[in-house]
Amino acid sequence: MTFEQIVFYFFSGVLVLAAVVVVTVRNPVKAALALVLAFFSAAGLWILLEAEFLAIVLVLVYVGAVMVLFLFVVMMLDINIAELREGFGDYLPIGGIVAALMVVEMAIILGPRRFGLAKVPVPQAHGATFSNTRMLGDLLYTTYVYPFEIAAAILLVAIIAAIALTMRRRPETKYQNPAEQVRVQRSDRLRIIRMPSEKKG
Amino acid sequence: MQEVCLAIPLACLAGAVVSGLFGWKIGRVASHLVTILGVAVAFVLSVSVVLPWTVTGHTFNGSVYTWLTAGRLSLPVGFLIDPLSALMMTVVTFVSLMVHIYSIGYMRDDPGYQRFFSYISLFTFAMLMLVMANNFLQLFFGWEAVGLVSYLLIGFWHTKESAIYASLKAFLVNRVGDFGFVLGIAAIYTHFGSLDYATVFTMAPAKAASMVHMVPGTSWHLMTLICLLLFVGAMGKSAQMPLHVWLPDSMEGPTPISALIHAATMVTAGIFMVARMSPLFELSPAARSVVLVIGALTGLLMAFVAVVQNDIKRVIAYSTLSQLGYMTAALGVSAYAASIFHLVTHAFFKALLFLSAGSVIVAMHHEQDVRRMGGLRRYMPVTFICTWVGSLALAGIPPFSGFFSKDMILDAVHSAHITGAPFAYWVLTAAVFVTALYTFRMLFLVFYGEPRMDKHTREHLHESPWVITVPLVLLAIPAAVAGMLLIKPLLFGHFFGNSIVVSPGDNVLSEIGRRYHGVGPFILNAFRSPPIYLAAAGIASAWYLYIRAPRLPDIISRRFHGLYTVLTNKYGFDEFNDFVFAGGARALGRALWMVGDVQIIDGLMVGGTARLVGWVSARMRRLQSGFIYHYAFAIIAGLFLLMTFFLHV
Amino acid sequence: MNFMPALPLIFLFGSTCAILLIGLYVGERRTSVVYVLSQVALITTVALVIRDAQAAPIVALHGMFVRDRLADLLDIAICLLVVAVFVYSRRYLSDRDMYRTEYFVLALFGVVGMMVINSAAHFLSLYLGLELMALSLYAMVAFQRDSARATEAAMKYFVLGALASGMLLYGMSMLYGVTGSLSIAKVASTISAMPPGNIVLVFGLVFVIVGLLFKIGAVPFHMWIPDVYDGAPTVVTLYIGTAPKVAALALILRLLVGGLQALSPSWREMLVIAAFLSMGVGNVVAISQTNLKRMLAYSAIAHMGFALLGLAAGGREGYADALFYLLIYSVMSLGAFGLVALLSGPGREIEYIDDLKGLSQRNPWIAFLMLLLMFAMAGVPPTAGFYAKLAVIQAAVDAHLIWLAVAAVLFSVVGAYYYLRVVKVMYFDAPEDDRPFVLPLDGKFLFGLNGLSMLLLTPWIGTIIAFCHSAIQGLP
Repeated sequence: MTFEQIVFYFFSGVLVLAAVVVVTVRNPVKAALALVLAFFSAAGLWILLEAEFLAIVLVLVYVGAVMVLFLFVVMMLDINIAELREGFGDYLPIGGIVAALMVVEMAIILGPRRFGLAKVPVPQAHGATFSNTRMLGDLLYTTYVYPFEIAAAILLVAIIAAIALTMRRRPETKYQNPAEQVRVQRSDRLRIIRMPSEKKG
Repeated sequence: MQEVCLAIPLACLAGAVVSGLFGWKIGRVASHLVTILGVAVAFVLSVSVVLPWTVTGHTFNGSVYTWLTAGRLSLPVGFLIDPLSALMMTVVTFVSLMVHIYSIGYMRDDPGYQRFFSYISLFTFAMLMLVMANNFLQLFFGWEAVGLVSYLLIGFWHTKESAIYASLKAFLVNRVGDFGFVLGIAAIYTHFGSLDYATVFTMAPAKAASMVHMVPGTSWHLMTLICLLLFVGAMGKSAQMPLHVWLPDSMEGPTPISALIHAATMVTAGIFMVARMSPLFELSPAARSVVLVIGALTGLLMAFVAVVQNDIKRVIAYSTLSQLGYMTAALGVSAYAASIFHLVTHAFFKALLFLSAGSVIVAMHHEQDVRRMGGLRRYMPVTFICTWVGSLALAGIPPFSGFFSKDMILDAVHSAHITGAPFAYWVLTAAVFVTALYTFRMLFLVFYGEPRMDKHTREHLHESPWVITVPLVLLAIPAAVAGMLLIKPLLFGHFFGNSIVVSPGDNVLSEIGRRYHGVGPFILNAFRSPPIYLAAAGIASAWYLYIRAPRLPDIISRRFHGLYTVLTNKYGFDEFNDFVFAGGARALGRALWMVGDVQIIDGLMVGGTARLVGWVSARMRRLQSGFIYHYAFAIIAGLFLLMTFFLHV
Repeated sequence: MNFMPALPLIFLFGSTCAILLIGLYVGERRTSVVYVLSQVALITTVALVIRDAQAAPIVALHGMFVRDRLADLLDIAICLLVVAVFVYSRRYLSDRDMYRTEYFVLALFGVVGMMVINSAAHFLSLYLGLELMALSLYAMVAFQRDSARATEAAMKYFVLGALASGMLLYGMSMLYGVTGSLSIAKVASTISAMPPGNIVLVFGLVFVIVGLLFKIGAVPFHMWIPDVYDGAPTVVTLYIGTAPKVAALALILRLLVGGLQALSPSWREMLVIAAFLSMGVGNVVAISQTNLKRMLAYSAIAHMGFALLGLAAGGREGYADALFYLLIYSVMSLGAFGLVALLSGPGREIEYIDDLKGLSQRNPWIAFLMLLLMFAMAGVPPTAGFYAKLAVIQAAVDAHLIWLAVAAVLFSVVGAYYYLRVVKVMYFDAPEDDRPFVLPLDGKFLFGLNGLSMLLLTPWIGTIIAFCHSAIQGLP
């Protein structure tokens, strides 16, 4: 077994374990952390595939931004764990059986018989000067510019959706409007009332 | 020519559609104008274009539209325009035009005015499609369409119980005839492989001797079978015994309808059809004998019934039955031309009589019982004279049209050698006397003697408006003179050309033609044979019984009570039908309904299936639990099953 | 790089972005500007599509984009459907404080996504178009954010949609693994050059099919449909029930017919199963629904079963019949949901079938149009719905799927029950309240056109089918 294989099986094993923990662990914070672990392992696998840029982006974006945000949300919301997990045991046997059977089927089909080295040749390793990032950039802005633009549109939609669904003006929220403040007139603030002078009694 | 042929029926259809669909919007006057315009166009085109064209020896036979093609069967809409159809078109459109105009006056106060005009135009369209057809399917279409409009018009006053009953009866009895007709067409298609007239007629002689085995052990002449089946259809439509029962009841419809449909045109469709099928009927003497005997019997027996009827329209209706019997008998002896000749003259004088009767009925405020009329000649001179013309024509008095055609039929039957001809001749000759008797009985009772109506009606008696009298006069003219003018060309000329085929051995008309030397000698010749004296005797008896000695009929009816009862019950056909057919069918229907429908179909199959589906539905609905993990599991399970099913490793 | 073939798409995308910005400036009170601009943008897009309509397919943008008859036809259909959806939804939105720029922008982005699917020549553009459409739909379902039902529906739709997308993507990755390409044309040529019976291909196909059937809403991947249709605001249901169905068919045609034609024996069998189950479950369960939107949802499932029948029959005839069926269905569905949206006035929500009680006495013309639509859905001749059913059943018979054709006829008889029940409720039941239904003039006019089209299209059925045929001919 070469060193690469050892690294591969290590990361793969951690990835699968972490994924199992994500769905089985009771505490959502722990699940989120397990997911972080899974992302790290996946990033490790990608490095092994010489996809360094993708691996780093995975760590930066998912682990650095998405998961941290997610953790904040999970910790801020007080989620009733017991309610979430209600019925888990009831569905475990049948769900487990189906899952196991599917894994078996997939393993039979996707096993080395069809994806072994005899079928799929080892990808050629690139030299040290090869820049995966540059390669990606070249492709992304030439051949794949159309999907890239659509992806941008998807993100735009996501932003619009997020704003449209969450931003609302609550009457109880206090906020300042600088434009209004600057435009203020004397008449808005000051009212002069004519009063009869008091007579001395 | 094709354009003209299309224009004629379509003009009528357009009128019907406009007044039927938009009548409520365009109003009464516009409705009758548009329908009259349509029919007038059809009439003018028929008489000025189609008729001269065919007389000069042209015929048109072609398809204008292919309606359907199924396998090797092609069902086109096509026209066969030859002298026979041209003559029919002229008669149909002429009478229809007269009836249209007449209806303006007759239907004036009816709430269903537009509907009425739409129906009669639609009828004209259907009738034209029938006579112009060049194939059996279109013939059948026209056949059914006129039947439908007839049904609608008999039940025109659909709030009247008796009208509904009558329309239903007409429809059901015609079903029986149509059943035979359809079987006949089916037999033709089975054995000839085509529904086109020309093809079938060309192939027919080759099949003259072929036999078919209907029931094991029996064999039939194919031609006899086909002709008899077709004739069953003609019996229904042309009201021959025993399928005549619907026609008297059809008088429940408005009088113009009785004139147009139940006297002049639709009921003659059967006659026309047999004449059209002459190439087939000529091949089967046996079928023609049946036709002859049934026609002759209808001619006499229905005339007897007419004598005892008191409803003015029913008298004329039974008279129509009797006259149709004459036409049918003429068909039986291969005198197709004489039959069509009688059809034409009958159309004129019978429409005239009906419309005159209608004029009387309007004047009498819809009183139809002749016993409550009398002395009308002073109040309604035009109607009176027109009725005289019509009656003389019907009774067969020279030189009115009916004389020529009826005498011709009698002559033809007399000269024929076919089985049953001598019997038919005596029966029909006897009917001449009865015809004159009932015709003049009606005339005398209505127009002569003391007025028997109530005072109120009597004060309001007056002649009908011009829209009613003008058609009467216009019909009276051909009723008087058509016989003289048409006898030579129709019977002894070559008017019909190839449209009617008569085998040389049976051609009685050409035999008679050799003795024919013009109208004058023909009339003189008639004085040497009994019919004319019988007619005169009939008129004299009517005069004696109903003017000279008005009490005598009562005495006679009491003396011959049994016979009188038989006649007033119209030989019991209605009772028999009601009890055996209608009752039997109802009993069978009830049995099928209770056991087959309610229990098996409704209870077990329909209800059971519905309950099963409802039950399954309610169960399956529960699967939609609303829990997302159930849904996700369904997706995964679906994926799993698909995988397992399709991946045979 | 030639951008011209993609001009309609680019135009719509650009104008959607512009509308988003304009909407910010005009403010919430003048959303009508946004409404008008959206309609103008869609109609201009249609005009642009028609202007450059070409018979021969053009592949552009590095083989990611294809412009052919099919794409043109579907683009036009989708844009026009959405125009109609906007007309129907205008008053509903303004009555419910939902008349906001975001609704229109999200709907337009959805259309952009659908147009990307229609023109996809590459797995990537196909998938991204799908996601663009789906994301817009998720957001629109949740648009009524104070409604718990809508939020729940959006949640379900999102989670299940993500699951299905994942499966689709997994299937695509399998196909990529075997063929080494993501270009649909290359995948097709590689597969047809390979010996038949490659198990990995079928394996990928199963996942792809699951994703596709989810999107079109076929049994057993239909569970989201009733909940989403019912939970979403009616105008969003109206949107989801029409244009995305057309796009889903485009997805199937591009992927299965365009790319995996060589595997058609396998996927046709899968579609046979899905068609049978969809027709059965859809029609049978619809019977026990009292909620109008849920009933129409199950009816949608059943109709998708009929459309799949045409696809399962296979052959260009079958695909064209399925396309024809779906186009007719989208018009029927537009009318039925459109009526629900139109009748739901301020403070009144049409939810249950019983809410239509006595409609014929209050609005006889509207009731008559609805009757036409229901007859068309039930497949009563001579409505267009009948010809659509006839076409797919004919296709099934021609493909020797006699048992399936018989089942289709039986299920459509079952289906007639609940469509006719709507008619019965409208015509024979007494109204429960006598508040009149006041319909906006534009919506009323369009609904009239929509309902009557079921009859008026009849003489042109042949032409439309011929159009569908020529669209299918363009596929490789």
